[in-house]
Amino acid sequence: MLAPAAFPVIRSRAAVVEELRRLLPRLEGSRQAVTLPFGLAAIDRHLPQGGLACGSLHEVVPDDGGTAAAFGFIVALLARVARARPLFFVIPGYGLGQYGRLYGHGLSALGLDPARLILVETAHRRDTLWALEEALRSGAPAAVAGVIDKLDLKLSQRLQLAAADAGLPLFLLRPAQLLESSAAATRWRVGPAAAARDRFGLFARARWHLLLERCRNGRAGEWMVEYDHVAHRFSLAAALADPAFSRSTGEKFVRQAG
Amino acid sequence: MTAAGGPRLAALNEAAEAAGLVLGEPLADARAKAGELQASAVDAAADDAALRRLALWATRYTPTASAWNAENGADGFFLDIEGAAHLFGGEERLMADLSDRLENNFGLPARLAVADTPGTAWALARFHAAPSPVLSSGREAEALAPLPVEALRLSPETCTTLRRLGFKSVGALLDQPRAPFAARFPAELLRRLDQALGRVEEPLVPIIAPPVYHSLRYLLEPILTQEAVVAHAKRLMQTLVRVLERDDVGARALRFCLYRVDGAVAAVDIGLTLPTRNVAHVARLIDLKLDAVAATQEAGFGFEAIGLAVTLAEPIPARQAELAAVAEDIGDADRTERCATLIDTLRQRLGPQSVRQFAAITSHLPERAEALSPANGEASAWPAPEQTTRPLLLLPRAEPTEVTALVPDGPPRRFRWRGVTYEVAGSQGPERIASEWWRDPLPFPPPLAVEDKKGAPTRDYYLVEDADGHRFWLYREGLYERETIAARWFVHGLFA
Repeated sequence: MLAPAAFPVIRSRAAVVEELRRLLPRLEGSRQAVTLPFGLAAIDRHLPQGGLACGSLHEVVPDDGGTAAAFGFIVALLARVARARPLFFVIPGYGLGQYGRLYGHGLSALGLDPARLILVETAHRRDTLWALEEALRSGAPAAVAGVIDKLDLKLSQRLQLAAADAGLPLFLLRPAQLLESSAAATRWRVGPAAAARDRFGLFARARWHLLLERCRNGRAGEWMVEYDHVAHRFSLAAALADPAFSRSTGEKFVRQAG
Repeated sequence: MTAAGGPRLAALNEAAEAAGLVLGEPLADARAKAGELQASAVDAAADDAALRRLALWATRYTPTASAWNAENGADGFFLDIEGAAHLFGGEERLMADLSDRLENNFGLPARLAVADTPGTAWALARFHAAPSPVLSSGREAEALAPLPVEALRLSPETCTTLRRLGFKSVGALLDQPRAPFAARFPAELLRRLDQALGRVEEPLVPIIAPPVYHSLRYLLEPILTQEAVVAHAKRLMQTLVRVLERDDVGARALRFCLYRVDGAVAAVDIGLTLPTRNVAHVARLIDLKLDAVAATQEAGFGFEAIGLAVTLAEPIPARQAELAAVAEDIGDADRTERCATLIDTLRQRLGPQSVRQFAAITSHLPERAEALSPANGEASAWPAPEQTTRPLLLLPRAEPTEVTALVPDGPPRRFRWRGVTYEVAGSQGPERIASEWWRDPLPFPPPLAVEDKKGAPTRDYYLVEDADGHRFWLYREGLYERETIAARWFVHGLFA
């Protein structure tokens, strides 16, 4: 039961919710709410403290045939992380397998400076987990990303703890076939979508279908976003090709989906 | 040993010597003298390897050990014990210890000598009557005089000539005028003489690069556990840090040597991304490396001595203390250093090639336009993108695909890749990328017209998107009607 005295100014239901949002993380003992916002109210509303929490594990699961899109989403998130420090990407030698390898000029085309990225190649899953944890605990990188084939609850808790101690975001790409429960703060399902064209019909911005499947202290949601690699900005995809309609229709789309 | 007139004896054991056999004797004669002779062919490579192993073991006395080459007889090694002898209580004690260990550990009777020059030491070890002579400085000529001319490490032919001319001992040579010898004998005679007397420097070729800084620890009780080894390594590094700090340098490369009781040596080389004086960091790297060593090497009865050497030192800024444990508020320098520390740590466990970063290469061919180079912890500049249509994932090798197009040189309409048929909903291109004819081997003289060349065909790249939004990077190889009439298609990458 909430004692009214604890909330001297309760104006509305919304205010209570807002106050609870502010107080809850403290109860959980997380140090401070450093987040990585999308800069997109429609998505940030669903996340606790209005963004992806920095000291946590975030899972990205590719939809059927969406591996490249999932990689793109992770790269876009990494590109939005503050500039100064390097980014570590841990990829098992067998990991990308049939999808080839990350391509520097492609990263550059997505707005991530390849010079910031340090690739770590591992031979076993055990090494991958060790490298991820080592990178987090060192405090050297600005963010850590990785590809892992299988992750059980215990290991995910371990990674989540390492991320929380370091205060760094950890993005993990997991295959959709081997999903187990995990301690991750969020789980995103990413699928491809027809790219945004400019007025000449050229491919201008990547579009992804995002499904926020699980979100601790937040709400699930579903969006169609496009990513502007120049401004490192997410925006909601226009339902129609004409940019004049994008704002209103995009909002409507969100309400329907979310 | 094979020689003119059949095989000859290259080495003898004690029993063979007792039977009256002589080095260099034809094998047939030897068999006639001793019927039960067991002979085996000389394995020079194995001998060499064994000698090197022995010399490596001897680095427990001093970092500079130099195995003898064929000129020196290939049956021993030089140790540069200058500044190391006092650790054992003097040169005599050191020799006694070395002799004991050679006898007990390896079963090798040894002849040892200490002198100021390698040449004199070699001569004394071979030809001096006393078992382990120690020659004080400046008495080389005196000590060499009674020895035979072979003590100068000369070729057999020179020795024979000298003996024929009546020069039986080194002393006979010492007083002679130099000019006639220089005219009549190969240069080696005077060179060897000068080297033995210390008039000319004789550089030793160490079997392992001599370290810049070195610290060694002998243990009263052999140690077995990894924790103990790491603890000792830590202490060794602490002693090294003092010297490193004095000289204002940090270690870039380290060698960690474990001397096993039975004489085997395990050496671990550690490279660092940035010069460091951080004890904890080095101890951690050694620990990680030992995990790998433990898999291949056994501790046996334990290690009796451990050594840590800085093989490469580089200056570092004076401002460097132990890393702060707090994550907040760290400066740029600290960040670079943390990053280097992390890279080192990852490399120790995952292998030197495991931590890499992108390096751009000026090339139009997508697969040649970049390389992965070992990460050094510093961000390199990346050129501003000229083309934004580059895939996020590049296939290691372009994969052939079946394409249906309306016209032979038009964009694809449908393609089949890895057993799935994709209907193309939209495409962009072509982006034409010609082959780099200057790299490919061409017939000489190079053809004048580009069309005539035999290099790889031109590629036309298309970005295509299927109805579900999957985006691919396809290319058609060969210009229609100019290079080929049946163009082949390939999938080269995937877009995000």
